[in-house]
Amino acid sequence: MKQFGKLLSYLGIAFLTLSISILLILLVGSSVTQAFSSFLSGIFGSFYSVSEVMVKATPLILTGLGVAVGSRSGFINIGAEGQLYMGAIAVTFIAFWLNDLPAMVMIPLVILGGFVFGGIWSVIPGFLKARFGISEVITTLMFNYIALSIVGILVRTLLKDPASSLPMSAFLPDGATLPTLISTTRLHAGILVALISVVLVWLLVWKTPTGYEMRAVGLNPRASKCAGISVYKNIILSSLISGGLAGIAGVCEVSGLHHKLLEGISPGYGYIAIIVALLGKNHPVGVVISALGIAALQVGSLGMQRMAGVPTSISSIIMGVVVLLILARKSLFRRLLTDE
Amino acid sequence: MDSGFIALITMYLVASVRMATPLILAGLGEAVSEKAGILNIGVEAIMLSGAFFSFIVAFFTGNLYLGLLTGILGGILVSMIHAVLSIHCKANQTIAGLALNFMVMGLTSFLFLIVFGQTTTIPACNMFGDLKIPLLSSIPIIGPALFNQNIFVYLALIGIILTAIFFYKTEWGINLQAVGEYPQAANSAGLNVFAIRYFACFINGVLGGLGGASITLGQLGFFMENVTSGRGYIALVAVILGRRNPIGIFAAAMVIGFSQALQYNLQTLGFPIPTQVFTMFPYLVAVIVLFLSIGKSIDPSALGIPFERNKR
Amino acid sequence: MALLSMKNISKSFFGKMANSQVCFDLEPGEIHALLGENGAGKTTLMNILYGIYSRDSGDIFWKGQKVSFTSPRDAIAFQIGMVHQHFMLVPTLTVSQNITLGLKEKGYPFTDRKALNATITEVAQKYGLQIDVNAYISNLSVGEQQRVEIIKLLYRDAELLILDEPTAMLTPQETEYFFEVLRKLRADGHSVIIITHRIPEIMSISDRVTVLRDGYNVVTAKTSDISEQELSRYMIGRQLQIIQREAVVSDTGSEGISLEEVSLKEKGRERLNSLSLQIAPGEIVGVAGVDGNGQKELVEVILGIRKQSSGKIRMDGVDMSSMSVLERKKLGIGYISDDRHQDGLVMDMSLTDNILLKTHTDRRFIKHGLINTRLVRAETQKAVEDYAIKTPGLNTPLRYLSGGNQQKLILAREMAGNPKAIIAHQPTRGLDIGATEFVQQQLLQHRSNGCSILLISADLEEVLLLSDRIAVLYKGCFMGIFPNTPELNLSQIGLLMAGKTSEARKESL
Repeated sequence: MKQFGKLLSYLGIAFLTLSISILLILLVGSSVTQAFSSFLSGIFGSFYSVSEVMVKATPLILTGLGVAVGSRSGFINIGAEGQLYMGAIAVTFIAFWLNDLPAMVMIPLVILGGFVFGGIWSVIPGFLKARFGISEVITTLMFNYIALSIVGILVRTLLKDPASSLPMSAFLPDGATLPTLISTTRLHAGILVALISVVLVWLLVWKTPTGYEMRAVGLNPRASKCAGISVYKNIILSSLISGGLAGIAGVCEVSGLHHKLLEGISPGYGYIAIIVALLGKNHPVGVVISALGIAALQVGSLGMQRMAGVPTSISSIIMGVVVLLILARKSLFRRLLTDE
Repeated sequence: MDSGFIALITMYLVASVRMATPLILAGLGEAVSEKAGILNIGVEAIMLSGAFFSFIVAFFTGNLYLGLLTGILGGILVSMIHAVLSIHCKANQTIAGLALNFMVMGLTSFLFLIVFGQTTTIPACNMFGDLKIPLLSSIPIIGPALFNQNIFVYLALIGIILTAIFFYKTEWGINLQAVGEYPQAANSAGLNVFAIRYFACFINGVLGGLGGASITLGQLGFFMENVTSGRGYIALVAVILGRRNPIGIFAAAMVIGFSQALQYNLQTLGFPIPTQVFTMFPYLVAVIVLFLSIGKSIDPSALGIPFERNKR
Repeated sequence: MALLSMKNISKSFFGKMANSQVCFDLEPGEIHALLGENGAGKTTLMNILYGIYSRDSGDIFWKGQKVSFTSPRDAIAFQIGMVHQHFMLVPTLTVSQNITLGLKEKGYPFTDRKALNATITEVAQKYGLQIDVNAYISNLSVGEQQRVEIIKLLYRDAELLILDEPTAMLTPQETEYFFEVLRKLRADGHSVIIITHRIPEIMSISDRVTVLRDGYNVVTAKTSDISEQELSRYMIGRQLQIIQREAVVSDTGSEGISLEEVSLKEKGRERLNSLSLQIAPGEIVGVAGVDGNGQKELVEVILGIRKQSSGKIRMDGVDMSSMSVLERKKLGIGYISDDRHQDGLVMDMSLTDNILLKTHTDRRFIKHGLINTRLVRAETQKAVEDYAIKTPGLNTPLRYLSGGNQQKLILAREMAGNPKAIIAHQPTRGLDIGATEFVQQQLLQHRSNGCSILLISADLEEVLLLSDRIAVLYKGCFMGIFPNTPELNLSQIGLLMAGKTSEARKESL
């Protein structure tokens, strides 16, 4: 009965979201059936469109996974966006600095570099929280802006491509680019990196003593301390991993997709990551599913704009609405959820 | 002193005040909200909504005051959604704020496209002109900066004074603090915690909406997608730098406004320093200030924590 | 006519009845004690009256008029005031601001603070309550904060004062002073409801007493018509049983646990002052004392949760003064904390995961760096069976278990593998009679097995029941350590608990 009520409440959220979407489509004056069919064909219409969902999902899985790992130990990471950019900076630096390394060495190296850079960008707020109790919500948020500015400065100075007048770096050396998986698409090996990370994180957080400690600290720091678990160490560790994963997302975007560093490689992946983690209930498998879902929503809405004239910003509205409805779920469907 | 130097200082001060105005307005609102224990990182959404609705009404009616009023309503609307989620639904306030940012960002650009379509020329509306206050405006340097400005600047200045009185000279301020520090005690003393928190969120909506309107009707005269471009987040920074003290927020917003004014100026002068150095500045300072305030508990104890009446 | 009458009040939390058809009457100008064990529903009943909880059913009459308060504001308007066990004072505000909080005084919202302060001082002095109105609450002692709470009610013209466990944090002498204030209030026409589980206090202060047990009201009587023994029987349902303690011959060759001049300084304050104690194998040493005299600090220093400033702690001869919590626990120390929700368990984790809280670094449970889930589940299953823990399943979050079953899981975890020492801090707090007896039996069982046990309890009766020796703790000092024999002088213990060394010495002569 309890499970049934819960299921109904989620169906209710789906229904409300759908109604709002229909309302918005009607507001544009488009045909609802056409909009929906173009949405679906935007996702499933071709081999290419399906691959695009994977391309979009790659950074969302990685950043979402990072946010989820952070939340598990009570580290609310709003800074995945900045950590992603730090990872992007790392890969660019390393690629130009050690430009003649073979891919076999270079790829693991840039991934490690991205992990370290992203990790550092997150461990600073983690340290401030663990050591001094400074709220990470605000610090990680501010670190996003600082990271964006650093990228802006670098692509105009140190890393600027002298051959171009635009603020961007030169193309990465071949050894530093992730291979494209299917030649007619943009799908690159980043998705594999993301999925491997999912498995590793799952093992770490759910199967090892270290992961157990991180989860215990997230749920009850005081009891953890009394049991001899270091709250400090675990927040530091989880913030490092959290930011590191977002850093790898930056590596994948630069190495796999853009092949150069420029501003705006992320249209807010780091913020969407928080939604991904929330919808995925901070679980690796949930994160993959919700990342694919949100990527599909974005790709589908592109199709909807092309063929039915519905602005793509509808995807952003839907994301916001779904999250707001989930936050309000227990109040909205109180009668269904009397046992919760 | 060299008259050219005075002119330069005056010019920067005037520009700084203009840049600071939306931050002051939104920052004051957020400070009221945080004092009551509601952390709203959706200030950006409140401002964006205020900017959008004030522009739409000003554009179609030509009446700026009507636009200003609608901007306030737009701000209230967003803030109250956050309030219902935080207070009634006891939801995670950070995520609620973030989700509102997504939704309002999408919604304003969606509606803007519906109303104006894909246009090459940006639709523009009238703007509030400068109101010269006799005598005061002729004070050197400060006069032009504070007393020869548009209505939003004056509203911001009045807002600072009223908020300061509200916080430090009235029982209301004590009630607000009690609700943010120890809501159970406030409730037990007979205060209505929910009502006070809703009221604080309402004020946040009014001031944030005004802040948004000050961008479209006071600075730009037009609206475009994401017109606030992160000012809501900078307002959060101003609140931290100013430690939720109205005067402090004013000072913080002025420092940020000054660095922004400098940034635009250097850009037009073609200095070789990337402007991002200045964009970064307020955030860096905020992190440093947070670091320096270590050990002093500056956040209200119940910030971000929902109040539950029947809790056991 | 009764001043207040509550009829057939019922209230349940998550399906558990906290009050069942409770009736309660109060006459004007009386001090009425509400007696019951922890969890009997006393505070719930008063919170319903005060408008903090909503009731499921029942009626409340105030001066014959039917009332229904949905918030304390309503109750205050009818001149009803309540002092909670956890004080409801805002630490960042002053005494004066706290007292007038929520009131619309003359000039509101621009109130004249100076004029208010004069009135407050006047009210306070009328009942002999000294207080600095401009002091911040965060700088006040517990006793002073309680004074502020009382003044707050009097300032609001409370006709009825509800006091929830007002003496819990007070020494016997402070309690006596406090009772004087209550008598003055009664003489002045105020009515008082005092919630407590201390029978001697009821005898000394109350006019009438109502006993609650398991959410039901059992009896209401004039205090002069009822004896302590009868009250005790009503409260717990039967006579207290006497546990037979047999002398344990310790031939384990172990040295037990010992403290040598252990001191703890925190934030410039001396929390523990040169404590020395040796607990032999097969011995229970009970610590008597009023809460907040260093009990928590003592426990946490022994376990390494806090680090002592000086002194040595040994376990079976091994100096563990600089070891981590985990290293100490691995020497064979079991820890039962006084706050199982905060310190002992992770309420949102399953039974298995809570067993892991102690064993997750134990090599037995780790295979190839991963936790051996099958083994941990088997261990948990065994705990559930051995300790008869009632649970829907091993994956159920602890939150959904009753307090007694939660405590049993802690015992199962901390007593597994026959520990050499057990630190038990308020091990029976908030448990029903059955669970309490179970815990006590388990402690005695381990005593027979040669375990060194430190028992800390706010309940002097429990200390007397279980201990071989009793140490009295006052302001971080041991005032004395006495063998628990029938000749033990109880009033001497009471005076030492209040820090009255010289009186205690006279008493012992």
